[in-house]
Amino acid sequence: MHRSSTRSHFQIQRDVIYALLLRELSSTFGKSRGGLFWAMIEPIAHLLVPVFIFTFIRARLVPGVEYPVFLVYGFLPFLLFKSICLQMVKGVNAVKGLLAYRQVLLMDVFIAKAMAYAVIQTVVFIIVLTGLAMFGFDVLPPRPIELAAVLALTVMFALGLGLVLAAITSLVPDARPVVSIMFMPLYFISGILFPVTRFPDDWMRVLAINPVLHLVELTREMAVEGYEPFKYVSLAYPVTLAFTFTAIGLMLYRLRVLARVTP
Amino acid sequence: MISVENVTKSYMTLGGRKVVFRNLSLDFPEGVSVGLIGRNGAGKSTLMRLLSSVDLPDSGKIVTSGRISWPVALKGGMERNLTGRDNVKFVCRIQGIRKSGMKEKVRFVQEFAELGGYFDRPVSSYSSGMRARLAFGTSMAFDFDYYLIDEVMAVGDARFKKKSRLVFRERLEDSKLILVSHNMKLIRNLCDAVVLIDKGRATYFNDVSEGVAAYRKTGEKP
Repeated sequence: MHRSSTRSHFQIQRDVIYALLLRELSSTFGKSRGGLFWAMIEPIAHLLVPVFIFTFIRARLVPGVEYPVFLVYGFLPFLLFKSICLQMVKGVNAVKGLLAYRQVLLMDVFIAKAMAYAVIQTVVFIIVLTGLAMFGFDVLPPRPIELAAVLALTVMFALGLGLVLAAITSLVPDARPVVSIMFMPLYFISGILFPVTRFPDDWMRVLAINPVLHLVELTREMAVEGYEPFKYVSLAYPVTLAFTFTAIGLMLYRLRVLARVTP
Repeated sequence: MISVENVTKSYMTLGGRKVVFRNLSLDFPEGVSVGLIGRNGAGKSTLMRLLSSVDLPDSGKIVTSGRISWPVALKGGMERNLTGRDNVKFVCRIQGIRKSGMKEKVRFVQEFAELGGYFDRPVSSYSSGMRARLAFGTSMAFDFDYYLIDEVMAVGDARFKKKSRLVFRERLEDSKLILVSHNMKLIRNLCDAVVLIDKGRATYFNDVSEGVAAYRKTGEKP
């Protein structure tokens, strides 16, 4: 009776992801009266506090670069990465109800969530950057295409790692809080608040193991005029890891490791 | 037509792995409404979840043709922050129904669920009865070859129950159902055949009375 029975797999997946994306966005923004405002104010406050503190205390931390701009472009990839990853760690039980609709696959939910958070974070950052521009800061990225590419890589990295983490936490549910807590130290070793070039060389080599640091530094390189990233920065490293995690994650997904629903 | 082919399903519990079905094979023939009966914990609901593909088997597969509903009156799929209307629209979208089709479904649910102004308020503000009415109405808005129903069907007050029954009867003229229930009267009323689930095995009975008799022998009074 419906055209629905004649949809191809691709059409079904497209319809489902579109529906999930709308649902995710409207439930984030429509939570209450002024939902849009509250959805925005939290991450903005998150950014503004360190911007104010550090701008006034150590205005000359990064030579040749305006500190608030440095900070905001550090937060951008980090928050993108964190919000997508954490959504997936919540795992299958958080979205169990949706899977009752037989068209909806777990992967569709993950993809839609990643897209929704990419949209939300982008909007938040455009607002913050506009605010900075009004105070006379130079926020326009000199290399916008490359910046978009690095951010897309960040989303893919987050999805891949998120899949792996979702598999681990669905096998060992006790690991869930541990994974969430891990994001706290990660914040401090990813060179967001201050440039890692201030560290001794040996330290920098150790810090370079952290792929998120590379994503942060690459973002700044593309977005901040005259920014010198730390000397071990590499594009190949996060790209390799993103593909590796995605491959392992998809394999685990295929093996249905994450599909375990607790009854 | 739904066929369950060599399905094994187990769950991990604190006391180790609990196998619900081992190499279960079962056919649900075309055009037959089937009741799933069995004692508590026999695996009726597990089978239902497998049929609705909410849960996946450890091994084996379930082959289905035709349109199969989600478990009727499902409330878990509803987003609490969204309005009733938006939740119905979401279900339309995943079914690939847009524009005029969507409008028609939304109108149906709006009239059926009798939520008044609450239809445009977030589901989190609903009473449990209102939520159940919205969920049941949404299930009834779409045509399926099979409706999957787990136990509770009656929602709302006496008048609403009567209305639900009428709409459901109408649907059953073209559609079949798979019903899990302990209520043998309901099973006799709605089903053409039964499947008795006991000790990990499923037995198909063409005759409902025969199945019910066999169920009584498993030790539990209906």
